[in-house]
Amino acid sequence: MQYPAPISKLIDGFMKLPGIGPKTATRLAFYVLNMKEDDVLDFAKALVNAKRDLTHCSSCFYITDQDPCIICNDNHRDRSVICVVEDSKDVMAMEKMQEYSGLYHVLHGAISPMDGVGPEDIRIPELIQRLQDDTVQEVILASNPSIEGEATAMYLSRMIKPTGIKVTRLAHGLPVGGDLEYADEVTLSRAVEGRREL
Amino acid sequence: MYVRELSLSGYRNLQETTLQFENTVNLFLGENAQGKTNLMEALYVLAFAKSHRTNKDQELIAWNRDYARVHADITKRVSPLSLDIQFSQKGKRAKLNGLEQQRISEFIGALNVVMFAPEDLNLVKGGPKQRRRFIDMEIGQISNVYLYHLSQYHRILKQRNQLLKEYAQKRMTETTMMYDILTEQLVKAAAQVVQRRLVFIDHLQNWAEPMHWDISRQLEELYIEYMPSAQVSLGLDLSTIEDIYGNAFQEKVEQEMRRGLTLLGPHREDLAIYVNKQDIQTYGSQGQQRTAALSLKLAEIELIQSETADPPILLLDDVLSELDDFRQSHLLNAIQGKVQTFITTTNIAGIEHDTLRQAKTFRVGNRSFEETSL
Repeated sequence: MQYPAPISKLIDGFMKLPGIGPKTATRLAFYVLNMKEDDVLDFAKALVNAKRDLTHCSSCFYITDQDPCIICNDNHRDRSVICVVEDSKDVMAMEKMQEYSGLYHVLHGAISPMDGVGPEDIRIPELIQRLQDDTVQEVILASNPSIEGEATAMYLSRMIKPTGIKVTRLAHGLPVGGDLEYADEVTLSRAVEGRREL
Repeated sequence: MYVRELSLSGYRNLQETTLQFENTVNLFLGENAQGKTNLMEALYVLAFAKSHRTNKDQELIAWNRDYARVHADITKRVSPLSLDIQFSQKGKRAKLNGLEQQRISEFIGALNVVMFAPEDLNLVKGGPKQRRRFIDMEIGQISNVYLYHLSQYHRILKQRNQLLKEYAQKRMTETTMMYDILTEQLVKAAAQVVQRRLVFIDHLQNWAEPMHWDISRQLEELYIEYMPSAQVSLGLDLSTIEDIYGNAFQEKVEQEMRRGLTLLGPHREDLAIYVNKQDIQTYGSQGQQRTAALSLKLAEIELIQSETADPPILLLDDVLSELDDFRQSHLLNAIQGKVQTFITTTNIAGIEHDTLRQAKTFRVGNRSFEETSL
């Protein structure tokens, strides 16, 4: 059946979001109709502002509303370590840990010839630029443990190592608190590969 | 292991049904196009979470139904296990003992199946792709880790081929750093795959040789050998295999850049099959090729049993009629009282064998099953 134009436009809008199909979009759209006008206005403003006011930090490329971002601006942070991640969401995950006090560099993707993404298409040149002075002592490669993330990490380590900066990679293996018997064979076999001496 | 009960709902053209099976031989008799092969396929799907006939899961769903469901109660070693797999437009969901499995790979291999269908008679005569598929399916049943390495390998291969294609299009003569990285990744995954395949073929050879000796009435000595695309052999450790493939790639680099393709690795390797030291892919008679295919399949049963301490189930889809009397009776002797077997055939006239006489028999007609006696 045909909805009035304003609501079908709203449904189409919701359907552009990830994980939302026609049914959920319709439910959300009708829910919005019953919301208070002020709430709807706030919501609409929040959407527009998030898009308009947020940019990428000119140094680390994390999303921010001020440049440089709060992390790069924080004088208490250790400027000798940079953690390289694929995505801004990964920075949030690292920050939740509250154990890491260095800086970040967000690549915005991983190298993947299949998708036409080469080293120059993500923020790798900018990272190399950041390493030019002597402040940085260590680069932690925290790209995802996928084929592409792994290739990106290998690429970066080959680029950075000749400069004498220490390059490290996040470990992968068993989750903390997980019983050995519940780990799947693949995780377990990678954990065995990455075992270390005590 | 054996299947005690099977329930089908919305599966292909079969009517909704629940069947109880014997832990020996279950025989399905019926005309063509009545649903015999569909039943075999359903059992196969329980083991591999996909069909052997199609890559499109949607085809399993009956016309005008929303989903297809296959459910089985099996006995694995001594304990009961229930398997349940559902296909819908949204994809597939698999459950073990009522517990939904996050990864389909966790479901694959809960039931082990060895299938012998008319197309398997081409295992020897057909192309290398068919033999690689045979190897991959069989190792995959016993090792999740192998499936993981194999899928990693194929993904890296795609990336590397894309890179080489770019080189070829731009007529580049020097490689970039990405070439080194993708080659290193590819070599690592290739070593895992090849090492496992070498061991598998060696084990399979141990079982297949005596099997073939018997079927051929002590006339033929079967020998199978994995044909890698670099100079590796059984017993080498992973880092040595990696080095050997790494060097082999170095020699091919110019050729690969020109053609824009990865020219060696497990995706181009094959299985060689010899009888009395003669390559039967090229020189064997039709009968020799079929006997070798049969020996390999029977060897597989023994291999799975020795690796998992539990015999697989055997599906013989319409192959009895394809074999001569001697091979037929050898096959029936080999399975007698050993593995649960499902046999389909259009008629059993002329096949005199105790194994069949003692079988639980179903008559298949009009897409449904009816228990009967011979």
